[in-house]
Amino acid sequence: MVKIRLKRMGQKKAPFYRIVVSDSRSPRDGRFIEEIGTYDPKTEPSTIHVNEELAKKWLATGAQPTEAVEKILKIAGIEK
Amino acid sequence: MIEQMFVKKKYLTAVSFYSKLPFVARDMPWFRQKGQAVMEKIVEQGLLYDFYGELLTEHQKNIYEDAVYNDMSLAEIAEEYGISRQGVHDLIKRCNKLLAGYEEKLQLVRKFTEAKKTIARIEMLAEEGKRMPEQACRERLDEIRRLTTGLMENF
Repeated sequence: MVKIRLKRMGQKKAPFYRIVVSDSRSPRDGRFIEEIGTYDPKTEPSTIHVNEELAKKWLATGAQPTEAVEKILKIAGIEK
Repeated sequence: MIEQMFVKKKYLTAVSFYSKLPFVARDMPWFRQKGQAVMEKIVEQGLLYDFYGELLTEHQKNIYEDAVYNDMSLAEIAEEYGISRQGVHDLIKRCNKLLAGYEEKLQLVRKFTEAKKTIARIEMLAEEGKRMPEQACRERLDEIRRLTTGLMENF
């Protein structure tokens, strides 16, 4: 199954996340199919960038967002 | 290049994540706080793990990292390690509680966050001072001195 999840990047104590599309079997080896956005909680307020086109494309093909990604997409105004 | 691809969207939080954190950490953090979004919980768990993760066992670290750094679901982690979904759930809950306990006693995340804010303020004052007449510049230097003195009191 293809999933859309948050992937933590950045250094320790300086969180930064990528929103990535990945196969549910290989989330840990760092490989992912495509990056569709970022989430930066360090700024005030937090900054979310989402490539709307890609997000919609992946959702339409049945990619399953995690709870956290679902919330981020909702904030960015992208619904299934 | 990536920047250009994205539709810029700002997420406005009434209370920012950082200023909220000490309270969240003190109050049972293994439950999501009212009004705290799912991804904010992940950020908080990640930050606590950055500071206190080394105090967990190897097994706890692996599973907690998968949940918090890689955003894997309970079912995925359960399959990966050959344990039950309930087992993963309990382990994560226990780690949350442990990490929150360390924060309650040591307050490293709170102190770190406060120090970061103070340093940002000092940098801003120094930058402003460059372009100011002598009197205004001196006022900024005085504030910088006060801030640097206060900075170490936390530790």
